Amino acid sequence: MRKLVDAYGAGITTVLLLLVAIWTLGMVIAPQATMLDQSLWSLERGTADLTVEIDRTYNELSTAKYDYEHSKDAEARLALDIRIQGLTQKIAELELKEKRPDKVYGLQNYTRMTDIHLQIFMKTIFYAVMVTLLALVVCYPVAYMAALASSGLRATLLLLALVIPYALNELLRIYAWLMILDYQGVINGVLEWFGVTDLAARRWIPFLESPAAVFMAMVYTYVLFMVFPIYNTLETLDRNQIEAARDLGASVPRIHARVIIPHAKPGIAVGCIMTFMLSAGSYSVPQIMTRGQGGDWFSQLVYRQFFEANNWNIGAAYAFSLLAACMVFVFLVMTVFGIRLKDIAR
Amino acid sequence: MTRSEGRAARIVLDVYIGLFLVYLFAPLVVMSVAAFNAYPYPSVTQWRGFTLEWFPALFRDERLMRGLFNSIVIALGVIALSIPFGLAGALVLHRLQSRAGGLLYAIMVSPVLMPGLIIGLSTLIFWRHFSVPGGLFLAMVAQASFIASYCMLMFLARLERFDLTLEEAALDLGASKFMVMRRILFPYLRPTAITASAIAFLQSFENYNTTVFSIGGDWTLVTEVGSRLRFGLSPVVNVVGVVFVVLTVAVATLYVLLSRRHVASDARAS
Repeated sequence: MRKLVDAYGAGITTVLLLLVAIWTLGMVIAPQATMLDQSLWSLERGTADLTVEIDRTYNELSTAKYDYEHSKDAEARLALDIRIQGLTQKIAELELKEKRPDKVYGLQNYTRMTDIHLQIFMKTIFYAVMVTLLALVVCYPVAYMAALASSGLRATLLLLALVIPYALNELLRIYAWLMILDYQGVINGVLEWFGVTDLAARRWIPFLESPAAVFMAMVYTYVLFMVFPIYNTLETLDRNQIEAARDLGASVPRIHARVIIPHAKPGIAVGCIMTFMLSAGSYSVPQIMTRGQGGDWFSQLVYRQFFEANNWNIGAAYAFSLLAACMVFVFLVMTVFGIRLKDIAR
Repeated sequence: MTRSEGRAARIVLDVYIGLFLVYLFAPLVVMSVAAFNAYPYPSVTQWRGFTLEWFPALFRDERLMRGLFNSIVIALGVIALSIPFGLAGALVLHRLQSRAGGLLYAIMVSPVLMPGLIIGLSTLIFWRHFSVPGGLFLAMVAQASFIASYCMLMFLARLERFDLTLEEAALDLGASKFMVMRRILFPYLRPTAITASAIAFLQSFENYNTTVFSIGGDWTLVTEVGSRLRFGLSPVVNVVGVVFVVLTVAVATLYVLLSRRHVASDARAS
């Protein structure tokens, strides 16, 4: 704290700390905390016991009223009057409880996740890991080529060719694949020329109904998020190191294993984290590829809990589960690659 | 490794890159070409002749135009929020090299590592306690909470190359701390502020996953395109695609040329 005041003076430090507090507390921590809180309670409606008790109290009340009307004794009437008032109040309380259910804290929103939903959750994580691994295998040579194995105009053009689809809007990249796999899409259209399909007769191959369609579009949409982190780290590698390794007689696989990949580690880690996080949390790809019909991706379940079932508590629990999965993944990758958070965001 | 082996490996790699580029661009070509097909359902195989009729249809489309306006409003708001937050965060972190700095850094970077829908939803839940429903304002707040992280990282990277002796010299010569900030630090950070604003604008404009969860009944250009893709495809969406492709190519070319020139000038300087 003193360092800050020394550097910027008290006035500016106050402004800076205020801005930082608004952002970190008000826009990051507090929203996450309220989401966690929302996931930890549910409204429990009145149980059958409550209904029975209300009925019984009503019976007691009518008996007391009957006694009151037929009693001549002033003292007894006074006692009954108090009893009637008490019962009336009790009924009001019970009915209020029945109407306005109790807020019950616990893990019920997590433990009540049905088998199907849990299965979809596991499947989403599994597919996201597959997308990540595939992207890593496909992109490493590309990043290597762009950063180290080309120069001059060729390198510039290759970089440009990678930046354009990377920067193009995500939805349009998905749409491009929708057009290819659609019922009247490119593949079905081409197959029609060979007489395999007949679009006018609605005889086509329903690629979109297969989960593979979501998977293919997802790989296409997020593959470049693996290229650029690796590219950025490889670009800082001194090419002389590769030359030296080669002169000393190292084979190509050995150069990659001992020189290039160790240097690219932070980039590979960031690429894996980004690709996994984007695929596991993607709402756009499954939603567009299945036209909102399929429920194969966990993000769609979350959306439905919030905006269709209107159950924000379960929705928050699902969203938090997804967040937890991503945090575990980040932690695992950082441990495996032996990097710290500081290395991630460079 | 012999020379011929090296050449063979080179050819394999070249072919591989070529195939990868075809994989990247062929779908985009399909999408763009369909914008010029007279057939009223987006298609390239059912070719009914070249037409430009879908382009004016785009500008007559009120929902898309309204979405464009909303996108720009949100993006400007995001710049107004994320630049001060990012700058303040970077200035604070720059001077805190302690454990507290590490924790603060983790908190500031965490939105980048979170799925977009989590950010959208947590913002929605949080603001419901203040009776603020989903809409343009919440979309802006949700986007700014993670775009500020990108801005912070850019400012921090620039600050790490800052020559502290400049500041000391100014202080020795009797400048106030405020003066140092205004005359030395801010001018030094100005190029980053411009780049960060541009990045913030693009990030906000292009965002779907966070926005769709926090925008309520309102819409941006991108969320509107998203719902068009689900209901009733029309070549008008392909026209939007062509416009985006042209703009992206222009911006990407500019970016690559600038960064290459930067690299070249760095190389000359060293």
